[in-house]
Amino acid sequence: MTNFKILIAAIALNMPALAAASGSEPAKMIVALTGIEAPTGTVMIAVFDSEAAYNGGKPIRAAAVPVSAATAQTVLEGLPAGRYAIKLFHDVDGDGKMGTNPFGMPTEPFAFSNNAAVNMGPPKWADASFEVKAGANTQTITIK
Amino acid sequence: MSFEINRRALINSTLATLATSAIITPEHALAGAAPGTWAMGVADTEADIPLETLRLISGRLPAAFAGTLYRNGPAKFRRGGQTSGHWFDGDGLVRRFHLADGKATLNARFVDTPKRRLEAKLNAMVQPGFGTARGQGAVLAGPDDANAANTSVMMSGGELFALHEAGSPSRLNPETLETMGFKTFRSDLKQMPFSAHPRVEPDGTVWNFGGNGKRTAIWKLKSDGRFDRLQVIDAGRQSYFHDFTMTARHIILVLQPWLHEKFVFPMSTGMAWRPEIGTQVLVLDKDDLTKRRVFELPAFSFFHLGDGWEEKDGTIRFDGCLEADPTFGQRSASALLRGEHISSPQPILKQIILHPTGTASLASTGVSAEFPSSDRRLAGSARRFTAHVTGYRQTPFPHAVALWDWKRGRDDRHDFGDHQLVEEFLLIPNGAGERDGWLIGTTLNMQAQATELHLLDARRISAGPVATWRASVPLPITFHGTFKPG
Repeated sequence: MTNFKILIAAIALNMPALAAASGSEPAKMIVALTGIEAPTGTVMIAVFDSEAAYNGGKPIRAAAVPVSAATAQTVLEGLPAGRYAIKLFHDVDGDGKMGTNPFGMPTEPFAFSNNAAVNMGPPKWADASFEVKAGANTQTITIK
Repeated sequence: MSFEINRRALINSTLATLATSAIITPEHALAGAAPGTWAMGVADTEADIPLETLRLISGRLPAAFAGTLYRNGPAKFRRGGQTSGHWFDGDGLVRRFHLADGKATLNARFVDTPKRRLEAKLNAMVQPGFGTARGQGAVLAGPDDANAANTSVMMSGGELFALHEAGSPSRLNPETLETMGFKTFRSDLKQMPFSAHPRVEPDGTVWNFGGNGKRTAIWKLKSDGRFDRLQVIDAGRQSYFHDFTMTARHIILVLQPWLHEKFVFPMSTGMAWRPEIGTQVLVLDKDDLTKRRVFELPAFSFFHLGDGWEEKDGTIRFDGCLEADPTFGQRSASALLRGEHISSPQPILKQIILHPTGTASLASTGVSAEFPSSDRRLAGSARRFTAHVTGYRQTPFPHAVALWDWKRGRDDRHDFGDHQLVEEFLLIPNGAGERDGWLIGTTLNMQAQATELHLLDARRISAGPVATWRASVPLPITFHGTFKPG
């Protein structure tokens, strides 16, 4: 169970207040969310642009996506081309926090880019990161 | 320091496993493969069992008898050339024995868990467990990803659940046994472990624990199955325990010195036997879990306890199947899946007595026993009888069933023979007296290569079954069941 706490800390920390989009870079990232079980609340998304940031630093962008169906989408404009990784959780009850049970295990759905599997801790940057090129890029993440 | 020791122990145990697998003797290989041996008790079942009418072998179903016996146990241990690391880690197969109108039927279905789905897809045993390491492709985002739903069943509020001590109950259709997902009693209690050993008060109120270790959750469900409360308590030591007991007023946790010293997979490799610190018994008030008393006893290990009660002077009594050390859980139950029988200290039926003076003592029957059961109408009240399996000899499994009489100090026993592996029997009342009832349970007949269902008269166990039915297939050994009358 201790290991699950590490997982939660990794996911729940570093979920910042929403940062503003930073302007006129050439790439845009479309984050398509599927598999949403409760069509309510908000999906909180954090985007990281380096392994160091992903492992405990600050996200370069964050988004809060309102949910009203089994799918949802957000578009992050103006990102420099490069490698990124995403951590997200579905704030079903809208309290702004990732819910945990009395033993500290997540009670709200969460996921990572590439749908990288969780195994006693968040997936590694190598498994969760993906290339964003100039123009439109779609990253589809199934929330469970 | 302790980390280093544990790490060494972990490595040593891994090396020991490798060494063992490198010297598989013909006897081991034979035990693992040959039909007609105890290895049938831990063989794989490949598919669900559609509804079949069982063949009556002897006797007949008493006219007034009607009800359903649900049983659960692991039945799939091997995929793609890999084997689970422990008997406790196979996929749960829930069996439904329905008796009515003079006949008995059986259907059985695997609990459709994320673990089973993932492992079927990968054709490999990858999810970690009590005695199983993480394999390539394991997914573990929470305890229910490794939930094998293989240990027991519970009927509460008209719902049937498959239970596994490390995760949530799985909801099952009581007739078709179709899985309907995990039960969440309240949204903030998702993934909270709900152990496989709930205890039920005579009115149907359910108490249970979740997650053993220093922090343990105590669950209470109302008699209609609705959630009542959950409280996390500090047990004071990191004991592993599989069962608990209670009186009408108390929750009783028996803290054996088998300690979780490190959280690793397989879980059992992070557990150490520390007999020098003895066994503690923690008694909590149901109405105020902060009120506690601790009793000290010499070290023993155990899996199963019986219902307890409190006498007028405050003395608390309960029984348990106590072992000198945890060799069975630590080593023997892993070796079973390799076809190997590592002998371990026999579980002995003993009574644990907590005196009002603050001391505790043990009274031994001297009888080998596991899977204790008693008249559930008497939960929390003084009682005289404990049904149990017994007759441990040349195989790792028992061959007999018995009813221990605490007043006369003797067993009434029926031995099914060397060719039968005996599973838990439940005591089902059919009259006012404590012994007015049936014992119902199953065996695996290695000669006939089939699972059998037996009904015995609790007043005359030694007379043998009143009725025996045989299934068309052998099913591996189960752990626990529950009986639903009607």
